[in-house]
Amino acid sequence: MRPGGFRPKNYRRTLTYLAAGILISAVTLYLALPILALLIRITPDMFFATLHDPEVVSALWLSLFTTAITLTVVILVGTPFAYFHSRYSYPGKVIVDTLIDLPLVLPPAVAGVALLVLYGRVGILGRYFNMLGISIAFTTLAVIMAQIFVASPFYLRQAKSLFEQLDPAYEQTARTLGASSLRILTQVTLPMTATGLVSGAVMTFGRALGEFGATIMFAGNLPGVTQTMPLAVYVGMEGNINVGLTISILLVIISFGIMIAVRLIQKREAGRA
Amino acid sequence: MKGTLTPCKLAFISLIYGLLLVSALFAGCTQSTTSAPATPVATTVPVTAAATPVAVATTAVPVTVAPTSTPAPTFTPSQSNLVVFTAASLTGASNTIGSSFTKAYPPTTVSFDLDGTQALKTQIENGAYADVLISASNTYTTALKNEGYLVNSSVKPLTTNYVIVILPASNPANIQSLADLAKPGVKIAMEDKTVPAGTATIAVLNNLANSTYGQSWKNATISNVVTYELSEPAVATKVALGEVDAGFVYQSTATAAASGTYQSITIPQKYNYLQTYTIGILQESTNKPQAAWFEQYMLSSAGQNILSEYGFTPVVSHYK
Repeated sequence: MRPGGFRPKNYRRTLTYLAAGILISAVTLYLALPILALLIRITPDMFFATLHDPEVVSALWLSLFTTAITLTVVILVGTPFAYFHSRYSYPGKVIVDTLIDLPLVLPPAVAGVALLVLYGRVGILGRYFNMLGISIAFTTLAVIMAQIFVASPFYLRQAKSLFEQLDPAYEQTARTLGASSLRILTQVTLPMTATGLVSGAVMTFGRALGEFGATIMFAGNLPGVTQTMPLAVYVGMEGNINVGLTISILLVIISFGIMIAVRLIQKREAGRA
Repeated sequence: MKGTLTPCKLAFISLIYGLLLVSALFAGCTQSTTSAPATPVATTVPVTAAATPVAVATTAVPVTVAPTSTPAPTFTPSQSNLVVFTAASLTGASNTIGSSFTKAYPPTTVSFDLDGTQALKTQIENGAYADVLISASNTYTTALKNEGYLVNSSVKPLTTNYVIVILPASNPANIQSLADLAKPGVKIAMEDKTVPAGTATIAVLNNLANSTYGQSWKNATISNVVTYELSEPAVATKVALGEVDAGFVYQSTATAAASGTYQSITIPQKYNYLQTYTIGILQESTNKPQAAWFEQYMLSSAGQNILSEYGFTPVVSHYK
């Protein structure tokens, strides 16, 4: 401690540091300890042995496959949707805004029940699909639909607000210079919002990867077809606990990987700007 | 306030207090583990041992809170509410059981935690509080007994149940016999193998395959399964909704359902699997006298009548 450390002014400053330090370490520990516990609970040998368990392998591939499709659909449909939504005003825009936010507050289990009574075999729409020989519930398609329903708002909200915040002057300038609408979108609008769009996509990916409630209600639990990683964790915790722990650790690793990737992208973008 | 918190200072300070907090946590943790009242030692579950310090440490963060939240044992009947962990297949019967027990032993009330027995077992092993466990699986009951969670002398067979096939009332796949379950395109729901009813179903499928229908029937039937649910009522719901063509459930579910909910196909007793439910008192129960009343009531003719009403088969005398 520096000389004169107990003068009233310094004393107060020390107190502030103390409070900040306690607060920061408490929050950090609260968030980090459970993850640490997960890693301590299983031995590395057991982890690598369980990694080859067919249940773990099929859940991992199914999760990666379904979330990849979810992400592709959300980006391909969500980006132009968010663009038009933010550029034009139309009747009922407020309702659409509310609907976009709804899945964020709706319990996923409710989303699953809702999807089931709509697209299920005897559902309001599902019965017509069924007549055409298309079944949706309890298939991999149902897993993807549940993920899109629950996770897309993260991307849509982000894209919407990015396009809204983008100064229209840039696009207008490009237009006066004779650029086509497509060229403006691909060379002005999207590059200027890319970083934000990527972080929105990552949030969607993370949420889709963790989807549980809607999936188990709407898609069921069939290994290799609808049993994604979170479902396999749940089943594992009630049977072979090592399967549950191994998949949990895999999900932690994937989550960290995603966050690191985002940081790197944002850093590169910031450096370029 | 002009306190400039440079990142460097902050990092140093948080490191110091972080270390302090960790040491405090571990001090608190050793205290709480030593003072915890006779927690059953799970010697048969090796994975639990390693995580205990960390798990306890997180709960010990608010230092002012007492290490265990369970109240001191108070045997005042007027206060008591029994927590009964109950196999999900008793969901239908649970309300009647609760209200008639309270009528017989006022004012002791009962709260049921209904879930697949495999889930109840995991919860108990991870520290969930319960007074009584009604398990739908002898295997899980034995495991919990060996791990020291149950008062072993209190564990008794409670009732039994057979496996049955239920179909939606409209029978969309036109299933007339067990053989039809193997028809291509039939959608079947059953329980996961960790769920007692799932274990029973697999045993039944094996019995049927070995006796009458053959291995290819069994394989075709299993490939028709579209979902492995995590409790027995979840299968019944999928059938009731008409989302699947058939489901393997307990006989009690078919009996207790309102008429017109399902069609059913019974499985001959000699190929069926008799699932024995057990009732037992938890070692850590702080309401053991009331828990014993509850067990007595369930084994008495009053309790057994409720169970028969909901389609359960009484335990045959030689089991007792």
